[in-house]
Amino acid sequence: MTTHTSTAPRSASHPRGVNRGRGLRAVPFLVPATLLYVYFLAYPMVDSVRLSFFEWSGFRTEEPVWVGLQNYVRLFTADPVFWTAAKNSIIWVALSLALPVTLGLLIALGLNRAMLGRNTMRAVIYLPAVFAPITVAAMWRWIYNPTLGALNQFLTAVGLESWAQQWLGDPTFALYSVFAASVWTGVGFTMVLFLAGLQQVPPELVDAAKVDGAGRWQVFRNVTVPALRPTTAVVVILTIINSLKVFDLVVGMTGGGPAQSTQVLALWSYTQSFANHTFGLGGATATVLLIMSLALVVPYLVWALRGDDR
Amino acid sequence: MTATAVARPTGTRTPDGPRRRRPTDWTSIGLWVSLVITCLIWAIPFIFMFLTAVKTQADVSTRPVWALPELWAWGNFAEGAQTGDLWNTGLNSLLVSVIKVPLGLLLAAAAAYVLGTIRFRRHKLVVAIFAVGSMVPIQIALGPLFNTMLSLGLLDSLPGLILPYLAFGIPYQIFMLYGFFRAIPEEMIESARVEGASTFRIFWQICLPMAKPALAALFILDFVATWNEYAIAVTLLQSQANYTIPLAVQNFSTQFSTDYGQLNAFIFMSAIPVLIVYLMFQRYFVQGAFAGSVKG
Repeated sequence: MTTHTSTAPRSASHPRGVNRGRGLRAVPFLVPATLLYVYFLAYPMVDSVRLSFFEWSGFRTEEPVWVGLQNYVRLFTADPVFWTAAKNSIIWVALSLALPVTLGLLIALGLNRAMLGRNTMRAVIYLPAVFAPITVAAMWRWIYNPTLGALNQFLTAVGLESWAQQWLGDPTFALYSVFAASVWTGVGFTMVLFLAGLQQVPPELVDAAKVDGAGRWQVFRNVTVPALRPTTAVVVILTIINSLKVFDLVVGMTGGGPAQSTQVLALWSYTQSFANHTFGLGGATATVLLIMSLALVVPYLVWALRGDDR
Repeated sequence: MTATAVARPTGTRTPDGPRRRRPTDWTSIGLWVSLVITCLIWAIPFIFMFLTAVKTQADVSTRPVWALPELWAWGNFAEGAQTGDLWNTGLNSLLVSVIKVPLGLLLAAAAAYVLGTIRFRRHKLVVAIFAVGSMVPIQIALGPLFNTMLSLGLLDSLPGLILPYLAFGIPYQIFMLYGFFRAIPEEMIESARVEGASTFRIFWQICLPMAKPALAALFILDFVATWNEYAIAVTLLQSQANYTIPLAVQNFSTQFSTDYGQLNAFIFMSAIPVLIVYLMFQRYFVQGAFAGSVKG
């Protein structure tokens, strides 16, 4: 790996290969970021996996005890909450792929054309995303307040009194009530991604299609949709990842209750470690979540970084 | 190619259908009306929150949520700030954000620069390893992170919050900026080098200025994310004196939530800095934020 050619079958006019001097020059630029990343992110993550093979209360005075796969066995067979949490996380992912993604796409398509108040409308849709999830949780808890909250007051005012609910207190509704708040905050983000993607639709192609007599629907199907494909992939992967991460909203609105009906994997892992003092089970839950995330992220990264050799 | 996408002006080139058709374009009007209605629905929670923030406790329990207050209780803002210890927690959050956001961006940019412009073996693998870190749930690492900070003696302190914040912000920024730096033409960097510019100079005087739109977008994203971060803060901070804004909001809404006027006033005030940053940098947003992540 001295000069040229070794890894460079690319453009003949600019032979550029791996060069030891260059690699060394990179070191000082990489070191600070790498140290922080490894010490405060990568290592704790790997350590979670290690802890999943131990039984440990988390107290310093106590030594972790090696128990092999026992935590996993307990998690899958004897933990009454794990499967609820897993099911809710999957429901959350599925609903997020269906609702905020579709809505975000529709709004982006609408707000991509020149029209009165376009920038204001974009700002209004995006605004909730700027608020902290924990703040959004406080806002929506107020909206869902059974007696003084806006939702039940509105239903009563329009004569739908019988529809009024304990939105967050009833296990049948709680998860969906929390999810509604996440739609409100999530659509802006999806919209921005799709707007960025729509900028990459070649205007020449749109014009050419129109000259050829294509209608709006045909232009959309044959020009816009194919051009949006990479954006859609990004939106889908980010939506799934963000759904698996959901934490603040649930903590702030229900804390996982009532009766664990809003429990999700990220929160359950946290609760096992810090509230129940079972770090081993918390680590095992974290590991399951890690494996789920990696199974999605790694193929995406392979795709995203493909052909980056230049 | 990502950089060219950024330079393109925002979607002004989409004419509203064929111009020859003179009669009123009902489709466009219908679309506009439905978008306006969507925006109104999106704004409703804010309107209700605001109307509650300016009501007295008596007005909250007797008047409907959408009614104007009988008595405008602007005092809720000052009292809420007092009750929730807003000045102290706000200062903590500001301190963390002001140190963390620029420093994190600089470190990420430095790493992304060498990964994007200097070819060495396995640079893609390094990018991928960083990127993975931005895509796995934070909660996975919280237990061990608690132990790490405990053994470093940094638990329940602001420096002890800034370090993991840096670590959790850098991966995404490296992934995004890598795309931008890669798009810088090789010839440009080569010729600067031929003229004797050092690696650092090329970074500082050529590459960094070119990445400005991306840096601006990442700045907003990171400022908002840092200001709003909850999971790490709730794990690592214990004493109220060190609380950041999200912990203050959570604390307020569980402890003092009987005073809804104050609660809602507090919620509004807690978001003011991010609103300012968002409005200041908004124009860079759609252009720069994600263009790097979307490959054509």
